[in-house]
Amino acid sequence: MSWAAHDLEPYAIQAHHSRLKIAFVPLLLGSYAPDLMTKWYVYGIHLGPWDLKADNAAQFHRGWPGLGFTHSFLYGAVIGLIFWKGLGSKNWGISFMIGQWAHALTDAGDTVGTMLFFPWTYHVSFGAWAYAGQTGRLTDAAAYFSGLGGMWDLVWIVIGLYSWQVLTRSYFETHVFTADGFWPKVNRFVPMTALLVAYRAAFFYGTSRWIAWTVWAHVIHHFPYDLSWGGPHWVPAEHS
Amino acid sequence: MIYRPSHRQLAVASGYAAAGALYVLIGVTYVDFLFSFFVALAYLLVVVWLVPAGVRRII
Repeated sequence: MSWAAHDLEPYAIQAHHSRLKIAFVPLLLGSYAPDLMTKWYVYGIHLGPWDLKADNAAQFHRGWPGLGFTHSFLYGAVIGLIFWKGLGSKNWGISFMIGQWAHALTDAGDTVGTMLFFPWTYHVSFGAWAYAGQTGRLTDAAAYFSGLGGMWDLVWIVIGLYSWQVLTRSYFETHVFTADGFWPKVNRFVPMTALLVAYRAAFFYGTSRWIAWTVWAHVIHHFPYDLSWGGPHWVPAEHS
Repeated sequence: MIYRPSHRQLAVASGYAAAGALYVLIGVTYVDFLFSFFVALAYLLVVVWLVPAGVRRII
């Protein structure tokens, strides 16, 4: 699984607005969508007297039976089609699909991979970093930010900073605000400055928490880096 | 063509960097703070928009 990449990829995609007509909100929603229904149960939550947690985190998160179909091209296409035909916005539909596909492709980088071509249940996995969701979120964070997954996130931070103009006020007002009726509707109640801050929030979140988790894992807790393929190997990784 | 940020844009970026530094400090102290996009969104709206707007109104 990936941590900050899903926050950052939409800005890199947004930078290509001249080739793609993109609505940012569904793009970001699509980028988050595959994990919205799954992450809480992968890591587990306490709900009153109950502890809810998947017995087999990788199977639930990425497999079939399970909710692994949320990480497939088909899922993005179906939800995108619902946005298009159901809500009447082709732009929202395509933007959601692009964001969701980016998520599914990125998560194929770990050792479990994703069923990109569901209902074919074959897992596409590049095996670059360890899938450790079953260990709990803190160990997972430590492992992720000690291996190539964290480095992959860093690539997206660098791409985002290289595309810094997508974060400017003029870009937001010219390209993002005007591309989607969502923003003018919200702007009736919320000032433009606040909308601009909200637009930048995912980039802020992805970058800041990448730094925070790196500091937490390596300055405070001294987990060892292992940038070898499939690492870090000090964590028990799940495989597809 | 290489575009360079203006002084105004650099000043804005500095504000976000300062907000980010505080976010990181809070996050490494209370890691639960790092898990939610909506917490980050609320934090950013308060620190980068509401507080400066309030200060400007007082001044």
